[in-house]
Amino acid sequence: MSGGYRQQPGGSGPTTRKDGKRVAGKQAFPPPGSGGSKPKMATRDLDFIPESVGGKEPQPAGSHIHDRVRTGTSVGKEMPLVDSNAKVTGQAWYGDDVRLPNEVIGKILRSPHHYARIKSIDTTRVEALPGVLAVATGADSPHRFGVLPVTKDEHAMAVEKVRHVGDLVACVAAIDESTALEALNLFDIEWEILEPVFDPKKGLEDADEPIHWRGKYHLAKTNVQKRVFQEFGDRSLVEKPHAESHGKWKMAGVHHGFTEPHAVVAHWDPNGRLQLYTPQQVPHYTHRALSTVLDVPMHQINVIRTFVGGGFGGKSDPFPHEMCAAILSRKSGRPVRITFDREEVYWINRGRHPSHIEVKMTADEDARISGFDIDALIDGGGFASFGHVTSYYNGVLATAPYELGSFHYTGARVWTNKPASGAMRGHGAVNTRCAVEVGLDEMAETMQVDPIDLRLANLLPPHSRTISGFRITSNGMREALEKVRTGSNWDEKFRKLPLGKGIGIGCGFFISGSGLPIHWDPNRFPHATVHMQVDMDGGVTVHTGAADIGQGSTTAVAQVVSEVLALPIEMIHVRSHESDTSPVDLGSYSSRVTFMNANAAIRAALEIREQLLNAAWEMLGYHPNNLVLNDRRIYYKHDPAVGVSYLKALHKAQEDKGALIASGAYRSPPMGGVHKGAAAGLAPAYSFSAYVAEVDVDVETGIIRCTNVWAAHDCGKALNPLAVKGQIIGSCHMGLGQVLSEQMVYGRTGHLQNANLLDYKIPSVHEMPHVEPIIIESCDPEGPFGAKEAGEGPLLPILPAVVNAV
Amino acid sequence: MRAPPRRLWRLIMVGSEHIKMIPAPDKNIWSAEVNGAPVEVLVASNAILLDVLRDKVGTLGVKRGCDMGTCGCCTVMVDGAPRLSCLCLAGQVEGSEITTVEGLADGAHLAPIQSCFAEYGGSQCGFCTPGFLISAQALLNENDTPTEQEIACAIEGNLCRCTGYQQIIESIQGAAAIHRGEVAAAAPASDAHPDPHPDGPDEPNMPPGHAR
Ligand code: FES
Ligand code: FES
Repeated sequence: MSGGYRQQPGGSGPTTRKDGKRVAGKQAFPPPGSGGSKPKMATRDLDFIPESVGGKEPQPAGSHIHDRVRTGTSVGKEMPLVDSNAKVTGQAWYGDDVRLPNEVIGKILRSPHHYARIKSIDTTRVEALPGVLAVATGADSPHRFGVLPVTKDEHAMAVEKVRHVGDLVACVAAIDESTALEALNLFDIEWEILEPVFDPKKGLEDADEPIHWRGKYHLAKTNVQKRVFQEFGDRSLVEKPHAESHGKWKMAGVHHGFTEPHAVVAHWDPNGRLQLYTPQQVPHYTHRALSTVLDVPMHQINVIRTFVGGGFGGKSDPFPHEMCAAILSRKSGRPVRITFDREEVYWINRGRHPSHIEVKMTADEDARISGFDIDALIDGGGFASFGHVTSYYNGVLATAPYELGSFHYTGARVWTNKPASGAMRGHGAVNTRCAVEVGLDEMAETMQVDPIDLRLANLLPPHSRTISGFRITSNGMREALEKVRTGSNWDEKFRKLPLGKGIGIGCGFFISGSGLPIHWDPNRFPHATVHMQVDMDGGVTVHTGAADIGQGSTTAVAQVVSEVLALPIEMIHVRSHESDTSPVDLGSYSSRVTFMNANAAIRAALEIREQLLNAAWEMLGYHPNNLVLNDRRIYYKHDPAVGVSYLKALHKAQEDKGALIASGAYRSPPMGGVHKGAAAGLAPAYSFSAYVAEVDVDVETGIIRCTNVWAAHDCGKALNPLAVKGQIIGSCHMGLGQVLSEQMVYGRTGHLQNANLLDYKIPSVHEMPHVEPIIIESCDPEGPFGAKEAGEGPLLPILPAVVNAV
Repeated sequence: MRAPPRRLWRLIMVGSEHIKMIPAPDKNIWSAEVNGAPVEVLVASNAILLDVLRDKVGTLGVKRGCDMGTCGCCTVMVDGAPRLSCLCLAGQVEGSEITTVEGLADGAHLAPIQSCFAEYGGSQCGFCTPGFLISAQALLNENDTPTEQEIACAIEGNLCRCTGYQQIIESIQGAAAIHRGEVAAAAPASDAHPDPHPDGPDEPNMPPGHAR
C-alpha cells in the first residue's frame, strides 16, 4: 500500500454509498455497540509525556527505558481505583459476603490451654447433636503446611499438641450458627497440660518439651526456631569510637487491625473440584497448602480471592481455618462458611513480632558511622509463619540507607506459647529501624551536630552496594531529606521549640519485591506472569494473579496497560480473582506486586503494541518508527490526520487469528552475595523515605499528640499519585498506632488481654496528625516506568520520627 | 476459654448436662422499610439488626467488623440518624426507615458522597467504606458546609485502617461542595464508555516535519 489514506477533517468519511454498497477501497469496520462518550481522539497530553521523548514531564532523575512507550494516557495521573465503584456501592464481595445456596456454618473449637497435649478427643456427643453435619479433628489433617517451604510446622487442626490459647483443635459444620456453637461444647477432650513458655528469653533455654521439634536441625532442646549471625566490614573500626550510642528496646507485638475479619467459604463442586473463596494476599500459597493438606493435585482446586478488607501482611499465610472449611465441606458435601469474630482474628494473629532489640553504634571523628551492632530476639509465638525471613530482615534491612564501616548482627527467633507472629507491613524492619534511627539521633546529640546533617553525611549514593551486598539502584534519600527539612522548617524549629513541643526525624529503607520467589528458582521461572487478550471489540482483558488488597495493584496494572496501548482505562479489564483464570502469582507481600506485575504487564502490552503498529504499517505504509500511538488512534507522526483508528488496526492485526493474545513475565536480575542468608532482603529495587514529625507532649500527664508529619517517600515514579499519597498517610496512621497506642497485652498468665478493638487502641480520626505527603521520584531503572514500592516503606520512618521528637 | 459467643445461648452447659436456660426465642415477623422498599422477614425476637440485614434482608453491603460497636463498619441510617446495627436489636427499629449503603445511589447515579470517595481516594480496601458513607451522608443531610472538625466528629466512631482518614475527610468535603451545588456531580458509570473507533483530529496538531 502507498502513503495511507488521508481522512477528511471531521470524520472518517462515508464508507458506504447511497445505494448501500461499499465505497471501493474502503473497508467498513463497524464499531461494536453504539459509539461512546468520547467520539473524538484526545490530543496528546504532553504534560504526562517525559521530556526525553519530547513531552513536558520534567525528569530530574533522568530518562527511563520505558519512556519510549509512554503515551501520556494514565501513568502519573491521579486516578480512582478501578474497583472503587464496587466498593462505594457496597457491592464489593468480601469473604463473608460469599453466600452459596445450601451453605452450612463452620465453627472452630479453640484451645483453652497455653500448651497441652491432647490425649484423646471424643466426638460422639457432637455427632449426635441434631443439625451437625460434619466434624473434623486433627486426625483428618495429618499433613503439615506453612507459608515457607523450609518451615512447614502447621496443621489444619492440632495434631498431638496445642501450642497457644486459641490454637485450633477441631471444627464442626452445622445448619446454623447457634447449633454449631452449641456443638463446640460437646467435645470431650482429655488434656495433659505442659509447661508453657511466654518470655522469649526463656525460649533460649532448654525446655522439657520444645514447642516444635526440628529433628537434626534442632538446637539442643531450646525453643529457638532460627538463629542468624552476620558480620560484614572491618570490625576493628569500632574499637575507638568518637561517639557511640547504645539502645535497648523492648517492643510489644502489634496486630494489623484490618477491618475485615477472616472469612472463608469452601465448596466441592459436582465435578469434585474444590472452590475456595477467601480474602487472601497470597492465594497461590493457599492453593499449594490446600493441595498438600487435602492430598489432591493442585488443578483440582480453584482458589478464588474475594475482595480483601485490608491485609497488611495479616492475610499472607495459608491459614488453618481455610483447610478446616475445605475438610468440613468435603465431609458434609455442602458449602461451608467460616467467619471469624474479632477475638479469633487475634488468635490467628501473624502480627508484628514482640522483640527485644539492642543496638550499639559508633561513629568516628568525621561523624561517619563506623559500625552497627544489632542484636534482635524476636518472639515468634507458636508457629514459624514468615519468621525465618523475619529473623534476617531484623538485621539486614538496617544496612542501608547509610554507608557503614562494619556491621554485626545476631538474631534469634523463638517459639513461645502465644499466637504466632508473622509478617506485618514493614516486615521485620520496623522495630530495628526505630532503634537505629533513635540511636543516630543520640550520636548526633553527643557530637553536637544536626541529626539531618549526620544522616546526609552518611548516605549511600545511588547505584551503590550496601555492606551486605544489596544492589542499590535509584535512591532518592538525599532529596527526601532535603524536602522534609525545608517543608517542615526544620532549621527554625529543631532544638528551638518551647517545652512540651518537639520535632524529630526518621528515615526508612525497604525492599521493593523480594528477590527470591519462595517456591522456585528465579532463573527458571519468572516472578510474575501476566496474560493479556484483546478481543474483536477492542476491550483488553488482563489476567493476573496479583492480589489487590486495597493498595490498588489492579489499578496499577490497568494503568500501565492503558499507558502502553494508549487506551482509556475503562477499556482495560483486569481479572485477578480466580486461580483458574490467572497465571500463577506469588501474591501481595514484600511490596512486590506493583513492581513485578506491572513490569510483566508492560511486557505483554508491548507485544500487543508491536502487533498493532505492524498492522498500521501495512495499512498506512509508514514504518512503526514513524507512527504515534495516541488515544485510540495510530497516526503518522508528522501528520496526525493520516492514521487509522485503534479498532481498525486491531482488526487488521487480528486477521486470521480472531484475537490478539500476549503474555509477559518479569524476572529479577541475578544479584546478591554468596554468604548464608544472602538472599534475604535482596530486591531488584529499594525504596527510601524520610519523615519529620512534630509532637505536643503534655508535660504533666505525659500524653503525646503528634500534630504534623512531613512525609517524603521515594517511590521511584508515582504511577498513581493519589494511591501513593493514600499509602503514605495510611502508613503514618498505622505507625503512629504502634508507637503511641497499640500493643498486644499479655497478662501475667500469658493470656492475651485485649483481643478486641476496644482495648486494642487503633488511632481514630481525632488522633491523626496532619500528614503532608511528599512524593520523591527517583526513576528506578528496573521499575515499571521507574516505579518502586510505596506500601510498606512509608511506615518505617514514622516511629523513630515521633520518638526522636519526644 | 473459648470466645464468648456472639448470640445468646439457647442451651447452657451445667457440668456435662445441657440445661435449657433461656427458652429458644420466638420468631416473629419483622417489618421495616429498607432502602425504600418494605420488607417483612421472620426473625427471632432477640435477633440483632446487623444479622437480619445481612442474612435475611440480603443487604450484604452492611459489614461486620467487630460485633461490639468499635469499628463502625456496620453503620446504617435509621430514620435519618446513623446507628451501629451490631448494637441494635432488630425489634428496636421495627417499622422504621433503614438506609444501607445500597440505598445511597439513585439508580445508576451514584450519590455525590459515593463518587467522591472513589475520586479522592477515600476508599482503599473498601471494607470500612459503607460505614463511612452512611455516617458522612447523615452529616451532609443536615449540614452541607461542615468544617473539618465537624466531619471528624461525625466519623469518629468509624475505624479505617488503610487511609489514615485524611483522604476520607477530603472526600466528604468534596461531596459537600456537590451538595451545595458548587460542583457538578459525576456522570453515571453506566453511560457509554469511550468509542474504540474515534474520529481523527480536525486539524493536525503538529506541523508537518515536526521532529517527533
Ligand atoms: S460491627 Fe458494628 S461497630 Fe463493628
Ligand atoms: S479502606 Fe480499608 S479500612 Fe478503610
